[in-house]
Amino acid sequence: MDILIQQLFNGLTIGSVYSLVALGLTLVYGILHIPNFAHGALYMLGGYITLSMMTLYGVNYWLAMFVSIIAVGLLGVLLERFVFRLLRDAPPLHDKIAAIGILLFLEAFAQFVWGADFHTMNSPYGQVVQVMGLTFTLQRLLIIVAAIVVMVLLYLFLKKTYTGSTIIAMSQNREGASLVGININKVAMLTFMISGGLAAIASSLASPINLVFPGMGHLVILKAFVIIILGGMGSIPGAIVGGYILGFSESLGATYVSNDYKDIIAFILLVVILTVKPTGLFAKGER
Amino acid sequence: MKKLTASFVLLLLIMTVLAGCNKGDSPASSNGNGKGENVVNIGFSGPLSGAAALYGKRTLNGVEMAVKEINDAGGFEVKGKKYTLNLVSLDDKYLPNETGANAKRLVQEYDTPIIFTPHSGGVLALQVFNEQEKFIIGAYTSEPAVTESGNSLTVRIPPNYEGYIEPFTSYAMEHSGKKMAALPTSSQYGKDWTEAILPYWEKQGGKVVYKSSIDFAKETDFFTIVTNALKKDPDVLFIGGASEPTAKVAKQARELGFKGGFIIMDQAKLDQMKPISGSYETLEGSIGVLPLIDSDEEAVPAFVKNYQKQYKEDPSSEVGLNYIAMHAFVEAMKAAGSVDDAQAIREHMQDGLANLAPEQKIYDIPSIDEHGGFASTIVVGAVEGGKVVPIR
Repeated sequence: MDILIQQLFNGLTIGSVYSLVALGLTLVYGILHIPNFAHGALYMLGGYITLSMMTLYGVNYWLAMFVSIIAVGLLGVLLERFVFRLLRDAPPLHDKIAAIGILLFLEAFAQFVWGADFHTMNSPYGQVVQVMGLTFTLQRLLIIVAAIVVMVLLYLFLKKTYTGSTIIAMSQNREGASLVGININKVAMLTFMISGGLAAIASSLASPINLVFPGMGHLVILKAFVIIILGGMGSIPGAIVGGYILGFSESLGATYVSNDYKDIIAFILLVVILTVKPTGLFAKGER
Repeated sequence: MKKLTASFVLLLLIMTVLAGCNKGDSPASSNGNGKGENVVNIGFSGPLSGAAALYGKRTLNGVEMAVKEINDAGGFEVKGKKYTLNLVSLDDKYLPNETGANAKRLVQEYDTPIIFTPHSGGVLALQVFNEQEKFIIGAYTSEPAVTESGNSLTVRIPPNYEGYIEPFTSYAMEHSGKKMAALPTSSQYGKDWTEAILPYWEKQGGKVVYKSSIDFAKETDFFTIVTNALKKDPDVLFIGGASEPTAKVAKQARELGFKGGFIIMDQAKLDQMKPISGSYETLEGSIGVLPLIDSDEEAVPAFVKNYQKQYKEDPSSEVGLNYIAMHAFVEAMKAAGSVDDAQAIREHMQDGLANLAPEQKIYDIPSIDEHGGFASTIVVGAVEGGKVVPIR
């Protein structure tokens, strides 16, 4: 029983990280209508910026994370303004190529600036907590709580504010949104900003339990793609639920089936879900 | 949906291609003391970009430091002629096919009698043609297969990892206990290592209570797998892979309440794990390769100081072993009386090792075995009382 609860907790931790990454990806999909391959690189940069703020300037973890959110968010805005907006009328393939180019550039850039080696991020929440036979560190608890807070805030923003609903409107129908007077350029930049910010939050939260290195984006990005396919492309609840499904299937699969086959379990799940619901769990119709 | 699947496949495809296409490919050569006539080119092909870049750089540093020392001393004399060395290094991004292409180029353009490469895949790729093209492979890999295949021009620099199995097992059994959980890296090397140690462990009366592997290129968090391993209540964890993620696994095991010892396979180095785990206390009761800086060989302190001065970091064993190998090659050239006859140089490697100057002997390598592996005296290191102590 203990092991089940412990593994549920582990699944929740990792699922939270996956969800945050997938959320950023799914938001941008709503705007670009292509998967943003560079999202993993934004995640990686978020980790590096938080780390540098903490080690170089000695600022506290939360402030460092805040700087990182702003910096990566702004980078997202720049990408939209100077890369993807210019490609808006180009064939979709060009967006994909541009995204891959950005991915490559950012990875090489990180290696150039910070070197190829592994860095550790020491958060102030490394303490080990044991409650009723469960073991977790404060950082892990923090990941779960922060992820939920971020998701709730994002939900409120999208549903309850005017600006938020313009994002939804644009992802539903770009021409329609434009016709009712929504400034498409502004909304696109805002979406990229939020997406970059989410990536920075995810990596700043997850880095203390892993390492910061140029390839760290690869650890999560392929999984994030699986999640948004599973949850339905462009769907926000889909990204959240998909993230937790993947997190739990990994931790429980590794425990009750086999660690070596846990990825297979996740992909079988994907196949089953897509067979039953080919557009994903929460898809809002064909794009 | 279709569009998406297509782009997903595209991404996968591109990531694979990508793994290998950045950086210009102009060779960096150092210490070319002009293009004098008596220059011996030494080749190097290793990962200088990508995930393994740091490792590749360290192996290169070792060779480079030896080359510098030899040139600063005015070169070396073979049959009355003075020679200096010129090191030509190429990036192969850890890909065996690139190693092959680099080696062809090194041989054709630079006529290198010796090519260093620090990974088993690269070595195997070079072994396809090194006997025809007549160059020696300076193989920095502990994989025994590279020398057991009988290639006559391969010199394996680090000790065969099979040599670690006996001392690791006996130390761990004595100090920690008989129940082992195996969580090695999922690479081919990790699998081979595991296949080698587990039967021996069981033969010595030990039990393997959990066996799986960790793919460090895919895993964001190790809590899940470590939780499962610890559920079986092991006394010893067998871990390994690149130093840094391996240290993270050890740290998370401690967080989950593991009190026993670690057996650390030779790819991970205790001294490189320490910054990640915070202190040696986390690694208490570990047995692994002895870090060079903790070695009690006489030549080590001076070497460490010298290296720190030039490269601003502590030398690791990959630095040290490549350094000593480069010196041994030069001594072998002197003994063979030739700088370009690979066969003769290889035949005189034993003399090369014997003629090493005392200040170069940072490792004790008394001989080279018949297959071309350096038969080092294996000294392992254990973490006891927050310090690394050599275990003989």
